[in-house]
Amino acid sequence: MSDNILKFSMNRCLSVERLDEDTLRSVCRLRDTFTSASVEILAGLPDLEIIGASGEFHHEWQKVPELDDILRKLPGVRIGAGMLKIIKGLVGEEDHLRQLTYMVEECCQGVILSLTKDILVQAPVSEEGKLEFFSKMVRDSIRLYNRCAAFAPGSRLVEGIDPNQ
Amino acid sequence: MLKFARNKVVSAARKDRDTLSIHGILDDDIYGLEVDLCVGIKDLQILSIAGKWNRHTTPECPSAIPYLQEVRGFHIDEEIGSKLNKIVGRKGCRHFANILNECCYAAAEAAKVVRWEDAKAARPDLSFEGFLKEEAAGGAQVGDSWPPSDQAGNASPSPPPPHVEVPREERHGSNPFPARPEPSSNGFVIDLHVHTFPASPCSSASADSLIEEARRIGLNGICLTDHNHVWTPEKVEELRQRHGFPIFRGNEITTDQGDMLVFGLERDVRGIIKLQDLRREVLAAGGFLIVAHPFRGFLTFSGEQLGLTPEKAARRPLFQFVDAVEVLNGKVTAKENGFASSVAASLGLPATGGSDAHEVSEVGTYATRFFGEIRTEAELMRALKSKEYVPVAFRRETGVPARENRPAEVQAS
Repeated sequence: MSDNILKFSMNRCLSVERLDEDTLRSVCRLRDTFTSASVEILAGLPDLEIIGASGEFHHEWQKVPELDDILRKLPGVRIGAGMLKIIKGLVGEEDHLRQLTYMVEECCQGVILSLTKDILVQAPVSEEGKLEFFSKMVRDSIRLYNRCAAFAPGSRLVEGIDPNQ
Repeated sequence: MLKFARNKVVSAARKDRDTLSIHGILDDDIYGLEVDLCVGIKDLQILSIAGKWNRHTTPECPSAIPYLQEVRGFHIDEEIGSKLNKIVGRKGCRHFANILNECCYAAAEAAKVVRWEDAKAARPDLSFEGFLKEEAAGGAQVGDSWPPSDQAGNASPSPPPPHVEVPREERHGSNPFPARPEPSSNGFVIDLHVHTFPASPCSSASADSLIEEARRIGLNGICLTDHNHVWTPEKVEELRQRHGFPIFRGNEITTDQGDMLVFGLERDVRGIIKLQDLRREVLAAGGFLIVAHPFRGFLTFSGEQLGLTPEKAARRPLFQFVDAVEVLNGKVTAKENGFASSVAASLGLPATGGSDAHEVSEVGTYATRFFGEIRTEAELMRALKSKEYVPVAFRRETGVPARENRPAEVQAS
């Protein structure tokens, strides 16, 4: 048997678009050797609250309960701090639901990343400018402090920043 | 027009008899990165890992790469998501953790295929589904559960300890404190939001150490509000007696609308409850419900970027279901506290303060000042419902310095 042929392959695609002034649509699609699925959430602005959720899920051997029953629990959840615990609690953490839960989380992360992108496009090109820009970003949103290697103590980006002040 | 797109591609091949080779690519509008892993087929152990950035944001992002090596030796099991997020996500970069999670999923699935192919060598008619059923009948295999239980890196919550039902007459009210702290001229100040270990696994402070510190800094009482955990009256009474200090019981319950501080509800709420359902239960129990840190993280985008004003925020449905708003919380920014304060004022809802302490040095950062002595839970309930209290920045107001955490106390149970 050839050892060059893949045993498993996966594509996961996430896209976020602005539907109108008050709504973002985030869609996560998964196609892998065993699964074909998509989850769509609508996020209301400016609250970043889930206002709609839908999806479809097909798996070679796992049976997934009626998606509408699960996803209709999501409207009202706010996309932001603390959302992962809430999503897991509402969608479920059983084996056959984990992929679905993960895709909902990905949709929500996509909304956050799309808004992060709006900020990052303003970053200067020069090294010095970038240091100043990202340092200010941490000062403005102190939760970023020590959240990753780039914002950890010892990094040039957090020089002089005291998270307790 | 697309605002943002992220594509992830992961492939798994058999490198040799015992090893899988996994390649993962994450490419989105902001980041571009790749990882290569070798994973043992039999035990799903990560044998080697390499990663590289193709595009990143800050000049310091490359410093995340060395942390990838810390996952060597990990087994791909139910805990792998938490481990990746804590090690790679928090210390390195969460986008590397994200693609590694996907690679682990791919490795676990590929290993099933490989095991089936190996089994088919002896039994050519064995179907994949039939093979999986046989495996399941033989016991769960390593790596069968994916995605891991936590994308963000928080450990799965431990089941709360069993709840002991207590006759209602014993729940509130009959336990004067052995040594009564007198209300000062500045009122009776209680930290209404405190987390203890092990009741709240995210806390590093024992109830004893928190109580000692609360007494030291001059608080008049604290309220134990552990996450989805019901303290028994007996246990709290034992703490009261031992410390001679007012200790009250509450509960921080996670709802679909966020975290709520609940007083007077004895039920052990598990999982996520709808706020409306919680409200119904609290009303039936004669309890009190405070929305905790209502705008935690809200202003990162929703404020200046998206134009959320206190007037708009006050229209959020959740405020119909709460009795008060926590407007001073020790875990959110001053701006978010200020925003909560504006919203509470515009709605005419009472405002409270609480430290949300998870460490000894945090207790009393914020608290709530009542205007009379509170000795029992029944008195606390009456006081909360009276609406006669104000949130206070207690440590700043009193100028009490933070105490160094003593290592022996951390993680004490």
